[in-house]
Amino acid sequence: MAQPDRLERVTDLLLALLDASRPLSLREIAEQVPGYPGGHDARRQAFERDKRLLRDEGVPVLTVAIDAEEQVGYRVDPDAYYLPDLGLEPDEQAALNLAVAGVHLGEPIGREALTKLGMGGRWPRRGAPLPLVDLPMVDGLPALPVLFDAIRSGATVGFSYRGEPRSVDAAGIRFRGGHWYVVGLDRHRAEARTFRVDRIDGLPEVGAAGSSELPDGFDIDAAFDRDPWHFGSGDAVEVDVAVDRSEASRVVTELGPDAVVEHTDGGGVVVRLVVTDVEALISWVLDFLDHAEVLRPDAVRAAVVARLEAFVSSGGPV
Amino acid sequence: MSASLDTAARLRRLLAILTWLAQEGEAPIDEVAARFDLTPSALVAELEMAACCGVPPYSPDQLLEILVTDDAASTRVGTMLARPRRLSPREGLGLAASARALLAVPGSDVDGSLSRALAKLDRALGQGAIEVELDAPDRLDAVRAAMESGERLAISYYTASTDQTGERIVTPRRLFASEGHWYVDAWCEVAGGIRRFRVDRIGSASGAGPASPEVLAEPLADDGAADSSGRGSLGAFVPGPDSRRVRIAIGPSMAWLLETIPSARVVEEDGRVLWEVFVGGDAWLERLLLRLGPDVEVVAPLEDRALAPDAARRILARYR
Repeated sequence: MAQPDRLERVTDLLLALLDASRPLSLREIAEQVPGYPGGHDARRQAFERDKRLLRDEGVPVLTVAIDAEEQVGYRVDPDAYYLPDLGLEPDEQAALNLAVAGVHLGEPIGREALTKLGMGGRWPRRGAPLPLVDLPMVDGLPALPVLFDAIRSGATVGFSYRGEPRSVDAAGIRFRGGHWYVVGLDRHRAEARTFRVDRIDGLPEVGAAGSSELPDGFDIDAAFDRDPWHFGSGDAVEVDVAVDRSEASRVVTELGPDAVVEHTDGGGVVVRLVVTDVEALISWVLDFLDHAEVLRPDAVRAAVVARLEAFVSSGGPV
Repeated sequence: MSASLDTAARLRRLLAILTWLAQEGEAPIDEVAARFDLTPSALVAELEMAACCGVPPYSPDQLLEILVTDDAASTRVGTMLARPRRLSPREGLGLAASARALLAVPGSDVDGSLSRALAKLDRALGQGAIEVELDAPDRLDAVRAAMESGERLAISYYTASTDQTGERIVTPRRLFASEGHWYVDAWCEVAGGIRRFRVDRIGSASGAGPASPEVLAEPLADDGAADSSGRGSLGAFVPGPDSRRVRIAIGPSMAWLLETIPSARVVEEDGRVLWEVFVGGDAWLERLLLRLGPDVEVVAPLEDRALAPDAARRILARYR
C-alpha cells in the first residue's frame, strides 16, 4: 500500500489502548502500532491527532502519570468503554428502532445510541405508520443531558433559576404538556421542588458522584408539580378563578377535579389555585379571554384589570 | 470508495458495522452494504482492512475474526471492536426518552416488546429517571384507525381561534404529538388541501368511506418520517383551516414568546424588523396579543389593530 491508511492506525491504536493492562508510553505505543512517523515531534503530533479523534468519538482515553522517561502513559479502561450486554431480543431491538424512528428529538442522538448498541444502519420499515412524537430536547436544552447524568450518578446539581442559585438533589426528569421538568429536593429549602428545565440559566454544575442526599423512597410523582403559577418565588397566594361552562372541562382536565371549589349554575366551575407567580397566572387567565375571571383576592383581580386597561388606552380611537 | 468520509466517520461506521454484525453472526455482503450505505466492494475493502488490524500480543479478545467470503461477512460477539459501547449522557437520554415517548402513545406496544426493552435499558441507564407523558384525547384512536386503514372521517371540529364548531370531511394522513398536544394533518374537503387539526378539538368522528388514492398520495410538508437520521422536525407549519398573515412589532424582551410559535418568522418592512404570524382566527390573535402585553403593535392588516383593545374591553366588562 503506497499511502498508509490512517483508519488502520487509529483502529490499531484503539486496540492497543484497550488491551493494555497498564498505561503505555508513546514509545511503547509506536512500537506496537504501525504507521507513526519516525521523528519524535512528528510522532507526538500524529499521536495527539489520533487521541483527539478517539476522544471526540467518545472513547475515554486516560492520561496517567507513569514512572518512565516519558512520564505520561495512556490507556482505555474497558469498563468505562463497554456497556454490559443488555441482552436485547430481536423484537425488543425492533421496538427500540421504531421508537427512535418515530420520536423527533431535533438531533439524531437516539440513532447514535442504537449504533453503539449494535443496532446501526438502516432498519426496514414494517407495518402501518406509527404516530410521531416531537420531543424538544437537545436544541436549546443543554441542561437536560447534564441533569440526566447527575441523576444517574447520584450527584447534587447547582444552577441558577430565575436569578436565584439553587442546590438540588435531582430525582427524575418528566415531560408533560410540552415541557421538560426536573423534580428533586431543594437543599436550602429542604423541600421537594419542580423546575422547568428551559428556565434554568446556563449549564448546571454537577457535584461529585454520590453527593446527592435524596432520601430513599423519594416519590417523584407525588413531588412533581407542573402548574406554571407555582414556579415563582413569591409568597403563596390562594386565587379563585371562575371559568365558564365552555372551558370548564378543559380546566378540570388540566388541574384535576380537586381544584374545583364550586360548580356554578350555568355549568361553569370555580377553581382555587395556589399561586407564587402572579404574572404567570394572569397570562393563564387571559388565555380564556372573557370565559374566565379572577374572583379573589382583590390584589390579583386589580392586577388583571390594570393589565387590561393598559390595552384599552393603547388602542387609540375605537 | 469511501474517500469522501474522514477517518472519524469511517471509524464510526466500521464500529457500527462490526457491532451489528457480531449480533447477527453472519450476513450477506449485499445486505450489510445496503444497510450501511456502502457499495459491496467498498464494504469488503473496509472489512479486509479491519481484519488486518491488531497489535501484539494479539490476545484472543482482540483478534477480530472477521471472515469475508465471496458473498457473506461474519464476526464474533465479544471481539474488542464489536462489543456494545457505553452511551454518552445525551445518547442515553435520547434513547430512554424516545422509548418512553412511544410507550406513552396509546396502543403502541401491543406485544410488550418495547416495555421489555425499556426495562433492560433502565438497568443500564437508571430506573425511572425519565418519564414522558402524552395526552390521550378521546378521538385519538378513531383518527389513528382511519389513518391506518385509509378511511375518510366525518368530524365536528371546534376552532378555538374563531370560537366556532363546524362539520368537515377529512382524510387523516399524519398523526403526531408536539408541545403537549396531538395533531393530525389531514386532507380537508372543505378547504381542498392538507390542514392541521388538534385532535382534542375533534368533538365527534365517524367513518365516511374509503379515501381517494389521489388524496392518500398528496405530499405532506416536511415529511419527518422519511428522514431516518432522526433529524427533521414536525414543527413545519401547515396552515389551519382558515388562516391569514398578520405582521406585528414587539420589543425584543417578548421575542421568546413568538419563537415558540411554529409559523412565526422575522420579516423586514421599511427598515423595521417585524414578526409575521399565520393567524387562524380573531380569538387566537387576541390571546397572543394579550399575552405579549400592551406595547405590542399590529402593523398589518390595519383592521386587526382594534382586536386587543376590544378583547380587553370585553374581558373588563366581567370585572365591573
